[in-house]
Amino acid sequence: MIMSKNDFILKAEGLHKSYRMGATEVRVLKGVNLNIKKGEFVAIIGASGSGKSTLLHILGALDRPTKGVVQFEQRDLSRFRAGELNRFRNRMVGFVFQFYHLLDELSVLENVFLPAMTGKSIVGWFACRRQVKNRAKEVLIQMGLAERIKHKPYQLSGGERQRVAIGRALMNEPRLLLADEPTGNLDSATGNGILDVLEALNRAGQTIVMVTHDERIAQRAGRIVTLADGKI
Amino acid sequence: MYKIILATRYLLKRRITYFAILAVALSVFIVIVVMTVMGGLVNEFKEKNHRFAGDCVVGTESLVGFAYYEDFVNLMEQQDFVEAVSPVIKSFALKRRRGSDQDDIAEIMGIDPVRHSQATGFGDTLYYHNDDVSRTFEIASDANLVGCVLGDFMLLQDTNSRYLSETSLPRIPYSISCFPLTARGALAQAGTDMVNTKTFYFSDQSSSGLPRVDGSVIYLPFEEAQLLCGMAGSTKRASRLHIRFKPDVKIDIGCEKVRSLWQKFRQDKAGETQAYTTDTVTVQGWKQYRRESIAPMENEQTEMSVMFGFVGITTVFIVLVVFYMIISHKSKDIGILKSIGVSNVDIIELFSGYAFLVGILGSGIGLLAGWIFLLKINQIEDWLFQHYGFQLWDRTIYAIGDIPNQVEFKVLAIIVVSAIAACLAGALIPSLQAARQKPVETLQVGQL
Repeated sequence: MIMSKNDFILKAEGLHKSYRMGATEVRVLKGVNLNIKKGEFVAIIGASGSGKSTLLHILGALDRPTKGVVQFEQRDLSRFRAGELNRFRNRMVGFVFQFYHLLDELSVLENVFLPAMTGKSIVGWFACRRQVKNRAKEVLIQMGLAERIKHKPYQLSGGERQRVAIGRALMNEPRLLLADEPTGNLDSATGNGILDVLEALNRAGQTIVMVTHDERIAQRAGRIVTLADGKI
Repeated sequence: MYKIILATRYLLKRRITYFAILAVALSVFIVIVVMTVMGGLVNEFKEKNHRFAGDCVVGTESLVGFAYYEDFVNLMEQQDFVEAVSPVIKSFALKRRRGSDQDDIAEIMGIDPVRHSQATGFGDTLYYHNDDVSRTFEIASDANLVGCVLGDFMLLQDTNSRYLSETSLPRIPYSISCFPLTARGALAQAGTDMVNTKTFYFSDQSSSGLPRVDGSVIYLPFEEAQLLCGMAGSTKRASRLHIRFKPDVKIDIGCEKVRSLWQKFRQDKAGETQAYTTDTVTVQGWKQYRRESIAPMENEQTEMSVMFGFVGITTVFIVLVVFYMIISHKSKDIGILKSIGVSNVDIIELFSGYAFLVGILGSGIGLLAGWIFLLKINQIEDWLFQHYGFQLWDRTIYAIGDIPNQVEFKVLAIIVVSAIAACLAGALIPSLQAARQKPVETLQVGQL
């Protein structure tokens, strides 16, 4: 089957990334090429320190490559200005981190609708807050957390926190969901529950790129990409 | 909107913030209390100097005085901007209380009490005759005796009592000796008559609130002082004229008018025999005339402002340190916010908003505490005096009644705005540093 250019949501070409640690230059990525199709569920697998998270951060514009190009829907991310990158991170991608990274000062509901609040003035927020809150509640119901909306993150279990983090990532209906070891901090039963959620989202059409070091978890994805020695 | 919510939550949830609020509140409290009290003292002192001098003074420091003053008084009294004019004789004398073997140096001021009370606040400083100043120098028991008015500190030195019995005023004679001078400044008399001496009887005491005045000045009847100083010849002389302007006249403008009238007057008198005595005469506003007294107080006020500038800088550093600590604990949050698309400017605004809340709350608490303390400051001092004998300002040294506690809203506004600005300045560097943090670095596992 011939793929059209438009079928790819994300294309990474010749990605290099190196860090300087004192006098030593550590080369993490050494020419990574990766294409992600719309609606795909891709698992990037690799040993610890292989550069999986670095790659994911570059794909989500949280970091810049030393060399190489990332195209999101045919647009080169390196040409984005700061404001465009912020909007890209806010609307086009959703991040799920291994350690959940929720804000303890906010309730579960507030954590989820936080991405919808950014960039809105006070007047703008009051104009749409009912709609935004309803959407956040919908997402939390979808995540099975309807009873937990008023709780604080530290009052939840690890699995619940990760589902809140997924809910936050989905709040603005992003085109791409990036998950960095989403089950890495959970027991296997809870981890399976999270993977069930990701699978269900993918079945509903959500494009997902997941990073993991565990081959059994990677098996749940539609495609597995192995990162070794800085290359795919 | 999320910035307001987050800033408020950080404020409520982070205990370290309470220390920043406390630091700001304490600084605001101290500055408000000290500025109000010291500012009140300075203003009161200036006002006392104003009351002592009137609005404008035409005169010379020369002990010879200047001639033709009566003509200038007449000229001034014809001016529509002038309320009153009082000629004054000023010189130095030896004072001896009868029965004592000690002569003290005193400053004598020869005045007409009625005119002087119209031109200055002299009448209000009198203890016994402030309701009828025309009787200031009268001795009730003997109409032939001539009275004198002593500054209350001088009386205290002489009698060990601040106030004497009102009902039976004691007859205290003072012999006052002066060296009469000619218009050229030479001794007017020679031999054993070189000194003019006359006995005056204590008739009242003056409390101007100016320790140097109240500790050294004896007021005598104008004509008597003129005779003692040798200024009562065929061409009479006076040392200075105290002038009060009409209430609606600005002092600077009034002084300028007097200055130009004086210039013209001098030109008109240029051909007179004693015209040279007018050479050293100056026209000064009351502030300029009393600058030797006021300038040290104003310097103290400036020094105080500089000192409190340092208090402000200390507050900036406290807030800076607290915010460094808060932001280092919140670096993960910064990474999270950036991962959901929050911009650097938004991060700066978030922490500046946080600092603003710290400033508002801290200065609000400090302001309220300072205001309440100032309202009660005199009661607190009274209580301390009654229970422990402690008095912040010894009233025998500082001529004040109550501790000044009139809060000026302009000063309050400046202090509160400065406190908030100090918080914003203290939070600026940590906020900029927070905004520069890379999200991938702050989201690493090892981060706090």
